[in-house]
Amino acid sequence: MAVLSLSASAGEALVLGLATGPVCLATCGPVVVPWMMVQPRGVRSHSRQLGLFLAARLAGYMVFAAAVWLVGSSIQRAWTGRTWLMGGIELLLAAALVVYAVGWPHRRCAAANSAHAPASERHGAADGLVRIGEPPRSLRSGALALGFLTGINLCPPFLVAGVRAAQLEHLSAALLFFVAFFAGTAVWFLPFLSMGFVQRTPAVVTVARMVAVLLACWYGFSGVSILIGRTMYG
Amino acid sequence: MASQSSSLRRPVAFRGVGRSILLTLPIALWSLLMFTPSFQRSGLDLRIASAVTIVFMTTLFFLMMRTGETYRWRRIFFVAVGFLFPFGFIASLIAERGSMSIPVSRMVSGDTPFCFMVTPSLILPAAFARTIIFPGSILPTASNPRSIAAMIGIWFAMTLVLGKAWCSYACFFGGIEEGFASFAKRPRLHKLVVRYSHILRLVPWAILVFVVLVSAAIFEPVYCMWLCPFKAVTEFPAVRNVETAIQMGIFVALFVGLVVVLPYLTKKRTQCGFFCPFGAFQSIFNKINLFEIRFNREKCVDCTLCQTSCPTVALSKESIAEGKTLLNCMKCGACVDVCKKDAAVWHLKGTPVAVKPERARLLFLYGAWAMATMFGGSILANSVATMMHWLPWK
Amino acid sequence: MEVMEEATEFVLSHPSAEKSGWMGHTDLWEVKEEHMRARILSILAYTGAGLTLLIAVCVPFVLFQSFSNVVAHAGLHIDPTYSGGTIARTIQRDGYRIVVYQTVKPRLLERAEPFVQIVFEPADSLPARVSDEVDLDGDGRPDVRISFSVPADATAKMHGDVTALNGGYVSLANVADESFSRMVVRAGNQIVVRVPVK
Repeated sequence: MAVLSLSASAGEALVLGLATGPVCLATCGPVVVPWMMVQPRGVRSHSRQLGLFLAARLAGYMVFAAAVWLVGSSIQRAWTGRTWLMGGIELLLAAALVVYAVGWPHRRCAAANSAHAPASERHGAADGLVRIGEPPRSLRSGALALGFLTGINLCPPFLVAGVRAAQLEHLSAALLFFVAFFAGTAVWFLPFLSMGFVQRTPAVVTVARMVAVLLACWYGFSGVSILIGRTMYG
Repeated sequence: MASQSSSLRRPVAFRGVGRSILLTLPIALWSLLMFTPSFQRSGLDLRIASAVTIVFMTTLFFLMMRTGETYRWRRIFFVAVGFLFPFGFIASLIAERGSMSIPVSRMVSGDTPFCFMVTPSLILPAAFARTIIFPGSILPTASNPRSIAAMIGIWFAMTLVLGKAWCSYACFFGGIEEGFASFAKRPRLHKLVVRYSHILRLVPWAILVFVVLVSAAIFEPVYCMWLCPFKAVTEFPAVRNVETAIQMGIFVALFVGLVVVLPYLTKKRTQCGFFCPFGAFQSIFNKINLFEIRFNREKCVDCTLCQTSCPTVALSKESIAEGKTLLNCMKCGACVDVCKKDAAVWHLKGTPVAVKPERARLLFLYGAWAMATMFGGSILANSVATMMHWLPWK
Repeated sequence: MEVMEEATEFVLSHPSAEKSGWMGHTDLWEVKEEHMRARILSILAYTGAGLTLLIAVCVPFVLFQSFSNVVAHAGLHIDPTYSGGTIARTIQRDGYRIVVYQTVKPRLLERAEPFVQIVFEPADSLPARVSDEVDLDGDGRPDVRISFSVPADATAKMHGDVTALNGGYVSLANVADESFSRMVVRAGNQIVVRVPVK
């Protein structure tokens, strides 16, 4: 019976994930697209990086699942503290995008000061955006940071899944619920692998980094709107 | 810069008057055909305005034929459209509702005229949810003839002919900054533009990807709601809360900065070349368009006059070395006209470069000027008619 | 023979002919092929150019209308946030009617409140002061009371009040055109009211 109950919950979570996948795509798609654009061409390398991103996202899901199960059913959609959390996460996402696009400041300075650094870097004149065609330095950590932050982004379907998971009997059931939910949403990310066929030129990489900065502005604006409590409807 | 008179050659006779008139005849006939309905069923103002427009367009084409130059004469038409369109449009708004702002009531009744610049943002929501994220009407109505279907239809049909040359022959906004770019005698920020042109020309692409993604995510036309500089001289959502006030501030700031000040300082079309996402979108159609500008490497002496004359920095040293322009070339003809060695030439893809370039130019210009007369010409005629209507002695 | 002469002339004018310095029998055939290829490409190019001109001529007469029809019949609809959604029911009153629309729920991350649109039409036939209780969800019980004055000037800004009669809707006081989900406006010959749904 316990097994049946677990599999029923997992099935429910999978269906929920599949049904609400477009929401995840809408939330995370803007982040994924520029990030995928800077990866080297090739489906294999894209699979690797997408795998890292999704793994980090799954880690975010697990953290959230554990947190909601531990706190219990007092996590409700109307929880006002969620507003602060959502706004904060969006601001973190914005910061992560900027850092990822532009590059860590201390790494730039170190490179500029190094005797082996190219002349353009020693001058220290250019930031990451000006160095055309160079992907951001932190490809792996970028995937992990962006994946984790999108994984804990509190969008409505995520909260629905959270409320459901909080009602389950065991922590393992809650975790399994979210694994199944993740599987349902992850299916929607598979088409991003097709970006591996797109030719990479220095211009494409530079545009991707610019898009990341623009998205950072958007998430920053969205986060601030949430934090100051102005739901700016059209 | 092509608009610097010192680097432009003085117009000289390229072909005889008789031949020029013969070559202009098809355009004259086309213009008459396009404006015949105006003569048949409109008031005196529009008939006079139509006649003026026919003479205007035909004369400019004749001068293109006579002098062999394109940019100078095209620019006159383009700047005229750019300045007259907002005038006519604003006048019609004031007459109709006393204000440039769009009240919410017009948006909910689908009376917002459609603007082609929102087209890229519509694609993903339309494809996945069959939803048009624009407060207009799909079919024309009595109160909104500029319906979505009509405007997309005309845009696509013209793009098949023009490709990215839309930005030189059709866009009714680009002429504004081209006008401001031609006012100053010499550029003041020219070196800055040249130094960072390799980054600046990528910004429109980044904005295009950004608006497409976010518009699809939140089902709002992000460019229209937040980033369009031309809202300042056409119509904009009525300011009724903090958000719309911020939006209005952004529109005005972008217009003053990108359309007035920077073009004046740099003598470049800064909004078109370094910001407009629709321009980046149109660049894609350059891939399928048959006409382009190429460089004859045997004649080229790398003087870079073409590079400095290009209004949107669509030329780089590397591209010139390869004998090509970049993808964002809008076929304005500035580089061809300024080249002293006749190395920059019009070219029909599939034919040898620099072999009969004038034939390629003619074939391109007939299509482009036909579209310009049909579209921009009608805007000119309507705006002139509006001006005449507002004349004090009327 | 003529083709061979043409091909030879083409080869001799080709820059690489000088560099190679040798013209063997095989080279001549390759040159002939290249020449033919160039001719075919040119023919295709000029045909394409001609087609482009034909398209240009057809734009105002045929193509514009055809493409417009394709868009018009593509099964697209305006975002319900702007259009108000689909009609649910019509309630007849004395001299006018009330059209109640389906609830519009925000899609994905759309930044809008869910709302219900109610249209009073025709505006010309409305009394100077309207105060109506309207059943929005079709359960036979009124859900909101909508009150507004109809100005004589059709272009004048309107204000209205919406009083929620149950917990499912949001009351609005003296609202004009606050947002796409909160308004009392005149649109043509209709009074459009939008009430947020809780």
